[in-house]
Amino acid sequence: MWGDGLLDGLAAAWSKLTEPPAATGYPGALPALPARSRGVIALIEENCTVCMLCARECPSWCIAIDSHKEETPSVTPGGRERSHNMLDRFAIDYSLCMYCGICIEVCPFDALHWSPEFEYAELDIRDLTHERDRLREWMWTVPPPPALDPHAPPPKEIPG
Amino acid sequence: MDWPEQVSRVFGAEIAADAQSVEVTAADWHSRVLGARDDLGCTFFDWLTGVDLLPGGFEVVARFAAPRVGHTDAIMLRTTLPRHQPSVACICDVFAGAAWHERETYEMFGVDFVGHLDLRPLLLPDGFEGHPLRKDFVLASRVVKPWPGAKDPGESASDAAPGRRRTRPPGVPDSSDWRRPPIGQPDASVDTPPESGAARRPPDATGTGDRP
Repeated sequence: MWGDGLLDGLAAAWSKLTEPPAATGYPGALPALPARSRGVIALIEENCTVCMLCARECPSWCIAIDSHKEETPSVTPGGRERSHNMLDRFAIDYSLCMYCGICIEVCPFDALHWSPEFEYAELDIRDLTHERDRLREWMWTVPPPPALDPHAPPPKEIPG
Repeated sequence: MDWPEQVSRVFGAEIAADAQSVEVTAADWHSRVLGARDDLGCTFFDWLTGVDLLPGGFEVVARFAAPRVGHTDAIMLRTTLPRHQPSVACICDVFAGAAWHERETYEMFGVDFVGHLDLRPLLLPDGFEGHPLRKDFVLASRVVKPWPGAKDPGESASDAAPGRRRTRPPGVPDSSDWRRPPIGQPDASVDTPPESGAARRPPDATGTGDRP
């Protein structure tokens, strides 16, 4: 009879309703991501000097930076004032980003880092623009870099 | 007989120096594709596409495969077409599946396939002008949208000095260089490939042209 298959399917679904899902994997369990996974880009704004290199190198034009200059008076009598660039806005539009990582490569002060977090889907495309506070929050999820290979030369940053 | 020997028996001197592909003339394109299928046993049409070589014209590349037990032998055919009139014979009668690939190559590169029955646009919207995978095609959104890197350190969008010469994004021409050729006239820029990606082929002024 027409519809038998539909009833069979509904009966099968009903009989399995209370059983845990047979499938294992992502929605139930978090995936084991490899080191250096490209999930989201995190900003440590203390390191940012507003050099604009990331915004200029970005092939998809997804980094927006606003800044202003501030002057600090000289610390010694007769010395000159020092001017600093102060970051006002740092935003990455993840609806445009293509995860190439050029901004991270080009940053001379290691202000940008890859984080493996990937669960930031949104219902509104405008919410995919992460402003500096949200980018700063991602920084807490950045894993430490993988250990050096055995017999590798010691890193230059560690004296001795 | 192993595969390189079979290829050299069928194509002989046409094999390219890198031994990876076969270089054929545009006039031989159809007969060589037929040869790849019938003499070489390449019964599977893999893909066909174009390459913009700027002054060198356009290259049409196609790959054909011969499924074997446990592995696949394959051959790549390429032919170079002049830039001012790129046209080559249609191979839809040899491989019917090539029809979509030829439609796509026609709309993206402007390569004409002589004998194709239906060269309608496949992916582009109706009324789109220009061939977006040509290297002299300018993305309109790149000209229209302000470049985030134009600001200098210590500057925000509101306090930009109006008179200063702005830093320009790489590969995007100045809007004054970027003009539309008169309608109905041959585009003079086609034979002289522009330097640094500057082009004179804007998309449709109605805004259906380029979308980011």
